[in-house]
Amino acid sequence: MSNLATMTKEDIIIKTNAFLIDEFEVDEDDISSDADLKETLELDSLDYVDLVVSVESNFNVKLNADDFTGIVTLQNFYDLLEKKLK
Amino acid sequence: MKEKTEKIKYALVTGGSRGIGSAICLQLAKDSNYKLLINYRGNKEAAEATLENVKALGGQGELLQFDVANAEQVATVLDNWQDNNKDAIIEVIVNNAGITKDNLFMWMKREDWTNVIDTSLHGFFNVTNHLIQKLLVNRYGRIINMVSVSGLKGTAGQTNYSAAKGAVIAATKALAQEVAKRKITVNAVAPGFIVSDMTSDLDEKELKKMIPVNRFGKAEEVAHLVSFLASDKSSYITGEVININGGIYS
Repeated sequence: MSNLATMTKEDIIIKTNAFLIDEFEVDEDDISSDADLKETLELDSLDYVDLVVSVESNFNVKLNADDFTGIVTLQNFYDLLEKKLK
Repeated sequence: MKEKTEKIKYALVTGGSRGIGSAICLQLAKDSNYKLLINYRGNKEAAEATLENVKALGGQGELLQFDVANAEQVATVLDNWQDNNKDAIIEVIVNNAGITKDNLFMWMKREDWTNVIDTSLHGFFNVTNHLIQKLLVNRYGRIINMVSVSGLKGTAGQTNYSAAKGAVIAATKALAQEVAKRKITVNAVAPGFIVSDMTSDLDEKELKKMIPVNRFGKAEEVAHLVSFLASDKSSYITGEVININGGIYS
């Protein structure tokens, strides 16, 4: 595993997209920075549980409910992970 | 999703050392392949006896000591257990631990009000909330809340117990709707008068006159129902309160 603390934004995006495609069966074509997590990626509220687990196993970061406040697009989500990994 | 590794499946019964809780442990040992986590608060001897009986039936299990009313203790004990059992999943939760502190409302002390609510209502929250995320990821689970006829119709002298059980019934219905999509069912079982330590001070001879079946129930009879609800046979029942009370209208 690459060193999480020194991951670039680009690395974070690549890694996140990879697990969205692999674990959440998100269509690669649907992935864009302005994609809405709920609408485009069809994540329902319970899917966030899986998202939390995936983030923990991929980035070793624990997210809680408050972290998702204001997270609408995939870009918001990448930014959240970047902030958490700092 | 990635291939899931096969987990070792457990059923947790809170207050599993005595009475209905103990009967549930034994019935699950007979009917299911679940390993049992028998929770107890103070009576280790009774908990050990239940575990022995589980083993005598060919079941497996272990004891977990914590007070369901103590959120911190619940979290610590369950986390420690999970750390030592990485491949395990608690797939069935039976929230059975409960206490009574009966008194006429006019004489009821605040302490007796809060203690009963801490165990029956907050105990449900402490245990279930701590385990629900793993159940959601597991995409299958059974939550069974032991309530009471008191929580439905109210019982004089038990405003505290009735309030706690009534609240758990409402929470059962709400949580059932939240998690149904993930094949997790949440149901409540409402026993009437069952022979146990909790009813040992009651006058069965007098009270059975108001029970159509004309007797107190047995803990085993309740345990059969819980065992059914804990199985995959009950998959289309959720958010329900099932009475088991010998025909008392409730």
